[in-house]
Amino acid sequence: MNIVTWLNLVDLLVCLVVIISAIGAAVHRNLLAATVFAGVVSLAISFLFLRLAAPDVAMTEAAIGAGLSTVIFLIAVRRTEEVEGKDQ
Amino acid sequence: MANLLLELALAIGAAGTLLAVVRLVKGPRAASRAVALDVLTLITMPMMAAYGLYAGRQIYLDVALVYGILSFLGVTALARYADRGV
Repeated sequence: MNIVTWLNLVDLLVCLVVIISAIGAAVHRNLLAATVFAGVVSLAISFLFLRLAAPDVAMTEAAIGAGLSTVIFLIAVRRTEEVEGKDQ
Repeated sequence: MANLLLELALAIGAAGTLLAVVRLVKGPRAASRAVALDVLTLITMPMMAAYGLYAGRQIYLDVALVYGILSFLGVTALARYADRGV
């Protein structure tokens, strides 16, 4: 196997990680776990942007997605409720 | 030889990604999922660096640096939340 095959395999794996994490972020009842899943989605998407030869977009996605939005989601979860539909 | 080492690095990174995703999906508590997120970050950074080495572009290393700093911020916020709230 040459290196292009390995890179394509890694791309396939990262795409699978995106799909699994997006489903997990959508269906999970524990909002802290859903926040972690959303962080993994932006992490993997950033790597895919890098593979598509867009390093500036990848850098922005890493800054906004993995750094800022995780913190904002955490603050929002703390201000509201940790488990969805707990007090209904 | 350099290509062989890069292939080896990609293979090891793919195996580590698989194991971390298993922990991410199964993880009984939110804290173990946060650790899986940290592991995925630490695997992705050297893979970005290896791909920058293969493609021969320096800007990819900058992306890996920014990525490492900012994801450290996210994992730190998660750990602080697990400790006593943001």
